[in-house]
Amino acid sequence: MDMIWMSLLLLTGLLILLGAGLWVAFALTATGLAALHFLSSIPVGDSLSTSFFSASASWELAALPMFIWMGEVLFRSRLSEQMFSGIAPWVGRIPGRLLHTNIIGCGIFAAISGSSAATAATIGKMSVPELTQRGYDRKQILGTLAGSATLGLLIPPSIILIVYGVATEQSIARLFVAGILPGLLLMLMFAVYVGIWSKLNPSGVPADEEEALPLAEKIRRSKPLIPVVLLIVGVIGSIYAGLASPTESAAIGVALAHLLSWRSGSLSRETFGQALMGTVKTSTMIAFILAGAHFLTVSMGFTGIPRDLATWINTLSLSPYVLLLALTVFFVLLGCFLDGISVVVLTTSVVLPMVQAAGIDPLWFGIYLVIVVEMSQITPPVGFNLFVIQGLTGDNIIRVALAALPYFLLLLAGVVLITLFPDIVTYLPNQMGN
Amino acid sequence: MRRFLDSLYRLGGYLAALQLTVIMVMVVLQVLGRILDKALLTLGMDSLGLQVPGLAELAGFLLLGATFTGLSYTLTVGGHIRVDLLHRTLPAAVRRGLDVLVALVALAITGFAIWFSVLLAYDSYDFGDVSIGMVPVPLWIPQAVMVAGLVLLAIALLDVMIGLLTGRLNQIKDEAPQE
Repeated sequence: MDMIWMSLLLLTGLLILLGAGLWVAFALTATGLAALHFLSSIPVGDSLSTSFFSASASWELAALPMFIWMGEVLFRSRLSEQMFSGIAPWVGRIPGRLLHTNIIGCGIFAAISGSSAATAATIGKMSVPELTQRGYDRKQILGTLAGSATLGLLIPPSIILIVYGVATEQSIARLFVAGILPGLLLMLMFAVYVGIWSKLNPSGVPADEEEALPLAEKIRRSKPLIPVVLLIVGVIGSIYAGLASPTESAAIGVALAHLLSWRSGSLSRETFGQALMGTVKTSTMIAFILAGAHFLTVSMGFTGIPRDLATWINTLSLSPYVLLLALTVFFVLLGCFLDGISVVVLTTSVVLPMVQAAGIDPLWFGIYLVIVVEMSQITPPVGFNLFVIQGLTGDNIIRVALAALPYFLLLLAGVVLITLFPDIVTYLPNQMGN
Repeated sequence: MRRFLDSLYRLGGYLAALQLTVIMVMVVLQVLGRILDKALLTLGMDSLGLQVPGLAELAGFLLLGATFTGLSYTLTVGGHIRVDLLHRTLPAAVRRGLDVLVALVALAITGFAIWFSVLLAYDSYDFGDVSIGMVPVPLWIPQAVMVAGLVLLAIALLDVMIGLLTGRLNQIKDEAPQE
């Protein structure tokens, strides 16, 4: 029982530090220092410097700044303006009509940016005014945007999956590939929900006012989107086919993104500098958190707490389903006041041995974790997407959260689906070979 | 002094940007070389063997450098994330006091990390440790870069703390989530 008290004490200490406003990376490091100092006889300082060094000098981790950079460049191109007009001609006949621009736009942009907040901001900037002006139901505009933007975390190349892969020493390539089907499945579920909703609430979806466009015209309007979609398919495809490692395809992606942005006339010295410095900021922030998390993981390993917890869980002989249920509740609660990346790194330092002891595949668990984190992005009080949409539209955060509630439940249904049918996650990676 | 410090942090940020750019260019060259080689082989010619030797390891060290030299810059632009849930409910004076405490704790941890990173770099230098890749890099070099980045971070943290105490700053800069 000692071990449980000690882990609770450490967790409480960590939460106090975080609550006081200490930066996440420092809070993780501080907890690691306390764990090593009080619960082991390992030299604390040497472990700290070695952990920082070995966690930060990593080829796999180099995929992180590269994908962030690619997103920053495309984010500053004219893409967001073109997204709405490029998708709108194709969805006019589907029940729910232009509401689907939010879902598909977020899906495409999510693949580029890997950040759900950036996705919500970029897509919402164009789609919210357009849809409002056409008289679509306010609640559904907000809900589709909030819900679909969370896909940014799952659809590859995903920043948070890189973080999980590096922290747990899983193959990032396989994680990316594992995210494809669940991401598409969730998009489909959102689209079907919007379709059904619009059949039940015809007043929320204004009648067709645009003429049916001939195919050639549709393609002409979507033309600006084609290179971007090709870029994404190329990046993911080359990883899936084993032609390039994630870091390599990301670096090529950065070069091609600059090419696209130059061709569309939005590349200037100013946008280049902004994108690069934005990359430094985000990449440094995440890499430093990973350094702190690595140190915490190493420290926890020395204290033996994760191993004891795993043994303890085993003696309870819970079914994996019960364990997952408990973890889901825990993560959603944690996600109520922590950001996604922090939830992931915290988990990996303590929970993963327990999960593996229960016979759960760490690859599958990564995808599961990301979907649960997606759910926490749209739960108050600290759902990042809620803040972004509040800032964008001026709607009260509670209103946005209520509008997003159906999508929260759909994500939950997604978790249940991948739990019952783990093949949704593991089928594609298993086709990859090694 | 103010201007000197600000340009110091910005310099760290630029160095980080430079290192990321070098990683990108090296990797792109490596991939292009590989594609060229494949093309030549399929045409029945000899491959040129264009390779950036020890790329994976070099990229890792450059990434380490980018992360640590970018720390102070990221701090000053409010890039490091923290939970500000409680902060938003506190009166300004209490919030400032809490932020001083936060900066102090971070400074103490950074100082501790600097001390042991210096020892790490010194040991590597003393034993002549080199990396295990194709290009043996003396480990003290990236480790010294790590120390330099941490020292910059300590300066920036001290700067923030003094700024809070003297009233130059009202609170630690946090970036709004939508940016």
